[in-house]
Amino acid sequence: MNEFTFASSQPGQVQEIDQQDETKSDRPWIVIVWNDPINLMSYVTFVFQKLFGYSLEKATELMLDVHHKGRAVVSSGSRERAEFDVYRLHEHGLWATLEHESL
Amino acid sequence: MKKNGPVFRLKNGNYKIELADDHRQLITQLVEQLRDSLATTTDDANLRRLFPTAYNNDAKKDAEYQRLMRDELLESRLAAIDVTIKVIAQNDEISAEEIDAFARSINSLRLVLGTTLDIAESDYGSQNDTQQSENSDGDETSGADEYLIQKELYEYLGWLLEWTVGAQSSGL
Repeated sequence: MNEFTFASSQPGQVQEIDQQDETKSDRPWIVIVWNDPINLMSYVTFVFQKLFGYSLEKATELMLDVHHKGRAVVSSGSRERAEFDVYRLHEHGLWATLEHESL
Repeated sequence: MKKNGPVFRLKNGNYKIELADDHRQLITQLVEQLRDSLATTTDDANLRRLFPTAYNNDAKKDAEYQRLMRDELLESRLAAIDVTIKVIAQNDEISAEEIDAFARSINSLRLVLGTTLDIAESDYGSQNDTQQSENSDGDETSGADEYLIQKELYEYLGWLLEWTVGAQSSGL
């Protein structure tokens, strides 16, 4: 990842920083649930249904992705929305993180 | 009403948890212990699954998130435990919100016990349990006995949570 971590007095560089930030901020945030060996599969499925209103089929598919692939993206949107979803998942004991969607 | 296990949904949309007195006492005792632990510290390694990271690759953002949300998460967990203690004591029908708090508390207990037991994806119990049991020979107060007790508790809570989720799912 090519990120600038300092501001510059050079106009050209400042412009470059702005473009980087803008490109990144345009991308949605995604919420990822990670596999863990403790949470019950039925419980994870139920939490997906309850928090996101997913059908049993969709929630089961996501749960199986978590179980077999190690992770699944369960929601996306603004950073605030993603943080809210992560909080609710943490509240239910699931291991969830948020990050910018990859380009 | 579908009543095949200890937790079921009633026709009026409420729920009922039917446990033997000694099991109700056990659940109460366990969640009270968890409440006391949480009131003392949230930094204990065995409690780490109750307070996961939110940003995997950004320590600064995660620190800010934890600063803003950790106390709220703690309050939510303590509130769920209080509801759990209340519904176990009342032993009456409970609302959807109350069974949700009950399920989250039982799951919290499993997360802490599972962490203590170092439960892994490949751990199906028997081999590890046998090994632990063999290690207890000749040592009355060995940690192996404690391990088996905690493992049994972990399995029991999983069984109870399965029934709870089943009852909740029937209400979706």
